[in-house]
Amino acid sequence: MAGNQLPGRKMRLPSRTMLTKDRIVTLILFLPSLVLVGYFVYVTIGWNVVVSLSDWKGLTPSYNIVGFDQYTRLFQDPTFFTALKNNLVLILLFVPGSLFLGLFLAILLDLKVRGEGVFRGIYLLPFALSFVVTAVLWAWMYNPSIGVINTLLMKTGLGFLKSGWITDPNVGLYCVVLAIIWQFSGYTMLIFLAGIRSIPESQMMAAEVDGASGFDLYRLVVIPQLKAPALSAFVVLMVFALKAFDFIFVLTDYSDYTYILPLMMFRETFSMNRFSYGAAIATILFLLALVIVVPYLYLSFRREKE
Amino acid sequence: MVKMVYAVAAAVIITALIVGPAVWYVTRPPPEDVVEIYHWWTSGGEKAAIDALVSVFEDKYPGVFVKQTPVAGGAGYVMKALMKSLVLAGEAPDAFQMHAGYEGKPYFEAEYLEPITDLWVAEGWKDVIPDVVEAMVKFDGEYYSVPVNIHRVNVVWYNKDVLQDHAIDPATLTTWDAFFTACDKLVAEGHTHPIALGDIGKWADTHVLEQIIAGEGIAFYEKWVNGKVTSATDTTLVHALNTFKTYLGYVNPDHAALTWDQATARVITGEAAFNVMGDWANGEFIVPAVGKVYGTDYGTFPTPGTAGMYGLCIDCFQHPAGVAHPANSLNWIRVVGSKEGQDAFNPKKGSIPARTDADITKYGPYQKAAINDFRNATYMYPSVAHGSGAPETFTAELDDIMSAFVTDKDVSAAATALTAATTAASADYTTDWSLD
Repeated sequence: MAGNQLPGRKMRLPSRTMLTKDRIVTLILFLPSLVLVGYFVYVTIGWNVVVSLSDWKGLTPSYNIVGFDQYTRLFQDPTFFTALKNNLVLILLFVPGSLFLGLFLAILLDLKVRGEGVFRGIYLLPFALSFVVTAVLWAWMYNPSIGVINTLLMKTGLGFLKSGWITDPNVGLYCVVLAIIWQFSGYTMLIFLAGIRSIPESQMMAAEVDGASGFDLYRLVVIPQLKAPALSAFVVLMVFALKAFDFIFVLTDYSDYTYILPLMMFRETFSMNRFSYGAAIATILFLLALVIVVPYLYLSFRREKE
Repeated sequence: MVKMVYAVAAAVIITALIVGPAVWYVTRPPPEDVVEIYHWWTSGGEKAAIDALVSVFEDKYPGVFVKQTPVAGGAGYVMKALMKSLVLAGEAPDAFQMHAGYEGKPYFEAEYLEPITDLWVAEGWKDVIPDVVEAMVKFDGEYYSVPVNIHRVNVVWYNKDVLQDHAIDPATLTTWDAFFTACDKLVAEGHTHPIALGDIGKWADTHVLEQIIAGEGIAFYEKWVNGKVTSATDTTLVHALNTFKTYLGYVNPDHAALTWDQATARVITGEAAFNVMGDWANGEFIVPAVGKVYGTDYGTFPTPGTAGMYGLCIDCFQHPAGVAHPANSLNWIRVVGSKEGQDAFNPKKGSIPARTDADITKYGPYQKAAINDFRNATYMYPSVAHGSGAPETFTAELDDIMSAFVTDKDVSAAATALTAATTAASADYTTDWSLD
């Protein structure tokens, strides 16, 4: 409603507490999702925090609050820091990797290549597949004895490059990062391509008239206008990197070199029956996700206001 | 106004979408007569075995449909996690596969299991199931589950052709020293990695260490499972870890990419000579697609130092509290414990029956030998790697410690971590095993 008004013109808004017809309807429409999301998301997050402050161990739920014991233990647990470190490495490599590869692919597609639709489909396909499926595929490719990567290296006389890939503690994490970059680059490509396509043709033509061409055209005109799509893709990638579970669980299981916080949370809870300890890890993960999401929400909220 | 009409219409539709299914749920027809079971038997031989057991049940109780939910993951490490979330949510199936011993303890403590002592008495299982096995399914004097089979864990599988080609007599491999000498010979003659290991899921590392510890003698094993090995400089413990370190010098470098059955397959193809694995591996040799013959193509011997000992890994079913079909659940357990059920399941599974009155003629050549060994065993011991011998928290830690050890081969670090884990879990060591 307010958005329909011309900017700068004063108008009389109904006071905040007044129940207009619109507001009642909005409330009715909003209610089902409010109840479901409220219970299944926010109440459960709160419940998780409560569990993390308890001494629940074993299969009998215990809500005996003992304070921050689990967190104290967590910060003395070397495994926690290994998992945190692996998580950070994953974020630092995976997020920029996916963004740049996606941008690169989007620019390539924007060059009006023949069969654009086909390429777009090919790039996007990995993202449409289940993580479990693609993880199994990568596990086969990376397999040191029968995988295509080592076989290919042997056949082409590059046998000295053979490696244990996901089984080698030194490169295992990077192999995982490579695989998830592959899976997500199609998604970032789509976001960037939509961003590029929304730039008015006239701007490009004007830039061309002014003598910009090729790389300059993208560097000076297109890329600066991709901030918004880049930011939303960034948030999605960050949050995924924090909570990645299925892909890594299938690819490398509980290997120490790819042990990240979600894996640790799951294992502590369901293999070791330390429910409160697992809940503490979940709370830390939640806080980390907030650190990323809240600034984004704030930024986009401010932009909408403007 | 038009907008308003649309909005109300939308609200009505959404409400209908929520109320409709809810009404259906409340008034839905009663569920059909089923018994829902969970297990982790997913490989070829395993599936054939559980299907045979199911058909015994369906013959006895026609009209009851057995709803199987298999969960893949060796030694059940995936299903164990899933089951806890189901049980906590009050969604326990009518029966689920579980290892005997400590693995059932968290369920027992949280009162998710109902005692089936009456059933044990009525069915006469006490008379036909050995005492050590009985002790593994009891908590506080009551019976809580019934074993369907017994797997032996202390087995070395070997490829007969490979040993013959290199003139190695498996009967002489009764000590780790002799075993490693044979490995040296194989390495010198071109078999660079004579021992196959596949440790996806980590438990296969623990499995090997456990057999090495048993090889140090039953007294030390008993001390270990009773949580009494708490000194990182314990000479026997350090000796066992050093043996494991030597062992690792002969294994395939890609072990972290292999599942246990892929490692066993290396012995089948002759790529490797030995594989230490429980006798569920037998199924891999005899499935029709492979078709190997025990005694001709492959053979077994107890892991060095464990002659006369029978390491136990036992699968059980139990009667969870408050299940959807309690009568069917009890009938399922009845079939699981019956002679008929065990003699249908075990020949295909590669294990031996938990009952001593089984019909031995139904079993293959490996199992005949195993049944014989079982009846003549001097000592039996519960497996730690498979959840029976030690508390679950300790076992999970042990898997981590062993997986790290396989990479860094640091004996003193492993001994320190291992004894620290034992001390940390000391309150959980509630069973006092008496093995000798």
